[in-house]
Amino acid sequence: MAFEPKEPQKEIKYQELRIYSDEELNNYTEEELKQFKIKHDIPDVEELEKGPWPSFVADAKREALRRRKLADDRMLIDRDVVEDMLGQLQLSFDDGETHWKHGGIVGVFGYGGGVIGRYSDVPEKFPSITAFHTLRVNQPASKFYNTDFLRSLCDLWEYRGSGLLNMHGSTGDIILLGTTTEQLEPIFYELTHELQQDLGGSGSNLRTPSCCIGKARCEFACIDTQDLCYELTTYYQDELHRPAFPYKFKFKIDGCPNGCVASIARADMSFIGTWRDEIRIDQEAVKAYMAGEIEPNAGAHKGRDWGKFDIQKEVIDLCPAQCMELDNGELKINNQECVRCMHCINVMPRALKPGKDTGVTILCGAKAPILEGAQMSTMIVPFMKAEPPYDNIKEFIEKVWEWWMEEGKNRERLGELIQRFGLPKFLEVVGLPPAPQMVKIPRENPYIFWKEEDVPGGWDRDIKDYRARHKR
Amino acid sequence: MEEIKKAIVEFAESSKKTKFYFKDIEKAVQKKIPDAKAREIKKACTALINEGTLIYFSTGSSTMYGLKGRGITEDPS
Ligand code: HEM
Ligand code: HEM
Ligand code: SF4
Ligand code: SF4
Repeated sequence: MAFEPKEPQKEIKYQELRIYSDEELNNYTEEELKQFKIKHDIPDVEELEKGPWPSFVADAKREALRRRKLADDRMLIDRDVVEDMLGQLQLSFDDGETHWKHGGIVGVFGYGGGVIGRYSDVPEKFPSITAFHTLRVNQPASKFYNTDFLRSLCDLWEYRGSGLLNMHGSTGDIILLGTTTEQLEPIFYELTHELQQDLGGSGSNLRTPSCCIGKARCEFACIDTQDLCYELTTYYQDELHRPAFPYKFKFKIDGCPNGCVASIARADMSFIGTWRDEIRIDQEAVKAYMAGEIEPNAGAHKGRDWGKFDIQKEVIDLCPAQCMELDNGELKINNQECVRCMHCINVMPRALKPGKDTGVTILCGAKAPILEGAQMSTMIVPFMKAEPPYDNIKEFIEKVWEWWMEEGKNRERLGELIQRFGLPKFLEVVGLPPAPQMVKIPRENPYIFWKEEDVPGGWDRDIKDYRARHKR
Repeated sequence: MEEIKKAIVEFAESSKKTKFYFKDIEKAVQKKIPDAKAREIKKACTALINEGTLIYFSTGSSTMYGLKGRGITEDPS
């Protein structure tokens, strides 16, 4: 189904929303930039400009210079914020500790997330960044923008914020870095009313869902990642903006097992597109690959001469399930054994395609090493259809949330809760039978506890009958 | 709803702490009103936020609730 926004979306036109003229946006020369010194000495911070990669320090200096040259009434927060931010960073290098104070009650009205309070703990040295709050802006699904939107956003942020932003934070959001408390509501108003973009999640709530580029450009996509991402974002608005979870909760959606948003490593609930029928094979194209007529991996590795393409060595022998063979020049796949690793499809995309009966595999519990160690998500739902309005997926999500909200301790991630209670308990909660694919390592716990309903006759027994056979 | 809101405010006023996790609020409410469901308590919290009685306190990674004007100010320390 084609993507359908729930409300009519207006076209964003930069010419109507722009704040700055072209002259203001190009208000310094490269020569001036070379001569430019910010007001603090920042030798260690400047070291970061020396490596082979582009540096945020170089970008920040450009922004500092632009702000120096803008007229007073063309910025609503202090013009020095960028210079003070760099100065404070140097102080942190000197002291070996941060000078940001973190958190607080700042936010926009009615929202429990999206704004992260930040304050300098040395405001006498860097007065302009006394309050320097971060905003998370919900990125559009797959991060598709047009330049009208981006320019309008940048103008707004130059005017009401520091002009510093980060595309994108590791959650996926656009991160606007640094503004004062008074500017939060006006920015929120303009974002939502003019740019039609909402704040994202932060704190103990649903974080901004994110997805790979999916069907928009990728032929491997087994599901419409953008549609699912948009649906979950809009359907769970309350969970996104009004925190009542024990801790953060992330959804990430990959269209296929290549996992371009690495959902398996980064989300409390990872959705990965997959298929349950058979890999589609075009035998003519297989022959063309074997004959060297089509470049393997769509030419991705042709920077070096790897010799003639060898289907046996490069595909069949590398299949982790060992389920492929060449039979009289015909490629055969035992789909029962295939683990959907994508290798053969990635090497020969014109010959092999994912099957047609597609859906998602749902995995739960990935997290970074904050309280307990890092872990990847564990496969919980091997296959589920993923079609609008995704009622089956929502039903699963809500079962998981209900349990986590009931049993989870403050600041306990879903993955840690599953560890604490054990996978069998979690499977019971979501009502799924255990499957071999859930087993990561051979069993390390020697005990098996039977439940009464699993034992014929239950716990009751006829004691007389027993004693008739066993003396005391 | 009104009853739950009352229980939340009473708890927030009487507690020694000034910031509460949602779970703390949930437990306190359920002590007074045993059949109050998490969803209803959340709705009551949201209503109190919208009325300006409660405020959110966020560290960025987790969020807590507080009574407006009691103990927590804009300054994070
Ligand atoms: C067919 C007969 C028997 C069976 C199936 C049996 C089974 C077991 C099992 C399953 C354990 C627990 C092992 C563990 O969890 O580490 C155990 C421990 C034990 N059994 Fe037996 N047992 C049998 C006969 C006996 C007899 C005849 C004796 C003594 C006369 C005995 C004495 C013990 C002791 C002392 C332990 C504890 C050993 C330890 O923990 O180091 N068992 N037995
Ligand atoms: C000072 C003397 C003793 C010490 C320090 C001692 C210590 C222990 C320890 C540490 C365990 C392992 C407990 C566990 O890992 O769960 C154990 C188990 C056991 N001991 Fe002793 N023990 C002593 C005397 C005895 C005696 C005199 C007997 C028998 C007559 C005995 C029979 C057993 C048995 C059958 C077990 C296995 C219990 C089970 O696994 O359920 N112990 N003992
Ligand atoms: S995860 Fe799969 S479907 Fe999504 S962009 Fe990557 S290769 Fe394409
Ligand atoms: S997808 Fe992976 S496991 Fe499946 S047949 Fe291809 S190489 Fe083998």
